Amino acid sequence: MSRLNRRTFMTKAGAAAGSVAVLSALGPQAFGQDKQVRHFWWGNPERDKRTFAVIDLYNSKTPGTVVTGETLGFADYFTKLTTQIAGGNMPDVIQQGYGVLFEYIANGAVVPLDDYVGKSLDISKIDQSAIDAGTVDGKFYALSIGANSHMAIYNTRLFEEAGIVAGTDFDPYGYTYDDLARIGAAIKEATGVAGTDDNTADYQNFSDFTAQKGVKMFNPDGSYGVTQEIVEEYWSTWQMIRDAGATPPGPESAGLAGVSDLSQLGVVTGKSAMSYVWSNQLVGAQGLVQDTLGAAMYPNTPAMIPGSIVQPSQFVCLTRDSVDPEAATAYMSAFVNDLDMTAILGLERGIPSQSEVREALQPNLSAAEALSVEFFAGIQGKTAPLDPPPPSGSNEIEQTFERVAVSVLLGDKSITDVATDFLAQAKAILARA
Amino acid sequence: MEKFFRRNFAGYAFLAPWLIGFFLLAIGPILASLYLSFTKYNIVRPPQWIGLDNYFYMFEFDDRFKKALQVTFTFVTISVPAKLIFALGVAMALDKGIRAIGWYRALFYLPSILGGSIAVAILWRQLFNYDGVVNSALRLVGLDGPYWLADPKYSLWTLIVLAVWQFGSPMLIFLAGLRAIPQELYEAAEIDAAGPVRKFFAITVPLLAPVIFFNLVLQMIEAFKSFSGAFIISGGSGAPLDSLLFFTVYLYDEAFSYLRMGYASALAWVLLLIIAAFTAIAFWTSKYWVHYENERG
Repeated sequence: MSRLNRRTFMTKAGAAAGSVAVLSALGPQAFGQDKQVRHFWWGNPERDKRTFAVIDLYNSKTPGTVVTGETLGFADYFTKLTTQIAGGNMPDVIQQGYGVLFEYIANGAVVPLDDYVGKSLDISKIDQSAIDAGTVDGKFYALSIGANSHMAIYNTRLFEEAGIVAGTDFDPYGYTYDDLARIGAAIKEATGVAGTDDNTADYQNFSDFTAQKGVKMFNPDGSYGVTQEIVEEYWSTWQMIRDAGATPPGPESAGLAGVSDLSQLGVVTGKSAMSYVWSNQLVGAQGLVQDTLGAAMYPNTPAMIPGSIVQPSQFVCLTRDSVDPEAATAYMSAFVNDLDMTAILGLERGIPSQSEVREALQPNLSAAEALSVEFFAGIQGKTAPLDPPPPSGSNEIEQTFERVAVSVLLGDKSITDVATDFLAQAKAILARA
Repeated sequence: MEKFFRRNFAGYAFLAPWLIGFFLLAIGPILASLYLSFTKYNIVRPPQWIGLDNYFYMFEFDDRFKKALQVTFTFVTISVPAKLIFALGVAMALDKGIRAIGWYRALFYLPSILGGSIAVAILWRQLFNYDGVVNSALRLVGLDGPYWLADPKYSLWTLIVLAVWQFGSPMLIFLAGLRAIPQELYEAAEIDAAGPVRKFFAITVPLLAPVIFFNLVLQMIEAFKSFSGAFIISGGSGAPLDSLLFFTVYLYDEAFSYLRMGYASALAWVLLLIIAAFTAIAFWTSKYWVHYENERG
C-alpha cells in the first residue's frame, strides 16, 4: 500500500465526499419515477393503526404512487405543521379541524380543490352539507372525512351499579344539569367513583351552554357575544354539581384543565363515570377501557334549547407545498370514496359524509361504531345550526377560558371576579387579532 | 495576504464545519430574530414592519408578560442561591476524604445530566401528582399532602426542588475550589482556636469567592433560560393559573400556539437584555466581594 500523506488523504476524502453528494442529489431520478404523496394527521393509536392500513392498501392498489403517513398527537400536530409552513415543506395532504381550517385558508397555506374536482377528485357522492362546510367564498377547499357532535360518554357498569337506567332515570338526549347533579351524586354514593367529570374549565361545554341560552358566541361584527350573566351562570351551574358531590374534588379537576388527551378522561382513568368528548372519539375511548361505554348528549337547561352542533370533525386538505397535486387529490378521493379503504377507516373519524360509504359500513359495525350511528339518529332535530366560521383569536379565547376557570375550581376567587376578568381578556384578544 | 491565506488554509478548512454552523445556525437566526422583533409575523404571511410596537405592547398592555417576569424572577432568586448552598454543602461533605469518593461524585453528578431531560420532567409530574409518591410518603406519617401541581401556591416549588436537585455541576466546581485552599490556613486558624463556623466564614468563603462567583453567574443564566421542566409539568401552557409561566414558556406559547413570531422574537430579545443586565450587575458587585490570589490588596 502506498504511503498516504495528509495532503493526498484530504484530496481523496474530499473527492469521495463529493461523489456521494452528487449521487444522492441524483437519487430520486436515478432510482424510480414513483409519485410521492405525504399524508399528515393527528390521531390516537386506534386511528393511526387504521390510517396506516389504508395507506398500505392504497399503495398496493395504485402502482406508481407511494403514499407515506406521518402522525402526531393533537397537542403537537399544529406546532409541527407551523414549522413545516415556515420551512415550505408541508406534507401534500393534511388533516384540519373546523375552526382552525379557516385561518389556514385565509393565510393561503391550504389551496382550493376546484381544479381537480371531476378529474382526480370525485365529490359527486359527498353530502351537500359537507361540501358547503368546506367551501369559503365560493371556492371548495376541504373534504370532510366525518361528521361530529358533542357527546357525553359514560361507564355503563358504574351506572348499573348505582341502579341508573338510561331512558328511565334520565333521557340521554335531553337531561338537565340538575339531573346530572342527582345522577352523579347517586353514582358517587353507590360506587365511590365520582359520577361525572367537572366541566368548569371545558370550553366546548361552555359553548353549548351559551347556545342553550339562545346567545351566539360571536356577534355578526366579530365581537364576543357572551355576557357576564352567562359566564357566571355556567360556572355556578357546575359549582352546584360539584357541591352535590357528583364530581372529583375541584383541585383535581383543575389539574386537568385544558388537557385534551383521551387517556386523561375520567372514564378512562377510572376517576369518574362520565366524560365529555367529540362523538368521533367514542371509538378511541372505548379502545382504552374494559367496561362498555354508553353515549348521551351534553346536559341542557330545562328550556331544552339545542346547544350542540353537528359539524365536520375533520377535513383532508391540499397544501400549497404539494409537489404532485394530481396524485395527492387522487389519494384524497380514494380516502373518502373507496369502499375497501373506508371499510378500514370505519367511523373512527366520525360519520362519513358519503352516502354509499355509510351504507356499506352498516352491516359490519363494531359495538362502539353502532352506538355512534344510534347516537346520530338520536340527536336528529336536537342540535343547533352551524355558526359561521369563528373570527381569528377564538382559539386563544378558548385557552384563556381554560386557564382562568382554574381559579373557579380552586375556589380562591369569586365567580363574578373571574367572569369579569375572562371577558376583559376575551375583548383584548379580539382587539389584538 | 495571499501568503497568509495559503499558510492558514488547512486551519480554516478544519474549522469550516464549526464556522459554517456558527454563522448559519447561530448568528444568522439571531440577527433574523432581531429584525423579526420589529415586525408582525405569523409565519404564513411575510413579516410586516411595525417598528417598536411589539415592545410598546409588551410593557403597556401585556399582563401575561408581567406575570412571566414575576414567575421567572421568583424562580431565579430562590432556586439559584438554594442550589449553590446545597452544592457547597455537599462539596464540603465530600471534601472530608471519604472512601470511594469517585463513586459519590458520579452519583451526585447524575441528576445534572438527567435533570434537563423530558423523561425526568415527566417523572417529576408523577412524583408530585396528588396520588404520587410524595403524597403517599406524606400519608405514611399521617399528613395529607396538597395538590402540588394543580395548586398555584405549590406548583413553582416543585420546579425549584427539581432545579436544586441538579446541583451536580456547581458541586464539582466547588469541590475543585475547596481542594485548592491551602490546608495550612485551617491549621493556623485552629491554633488560634477558631471554630468551624469562624473557619468557614474567614477562610473558606473568601478563598472560594472566585468559584462562588463563577457558579453564581453560570447558574443564574441557566435559571433564566430554564424551559423543559416548566413546559412539560405545566402541559406547555404555564398552568395552573400561569404559576409556571416561565419567560421561555410564554415565549414558546406566543410563537407556536398563537403564531406571533414577531412578538415572540421581541420577547426573546428582552430576555437576552435581562440576562445581560443581571450578569453585568453581578460582575460589577464582584469588585467588592471577589478577590483573586494574584491581586494586590
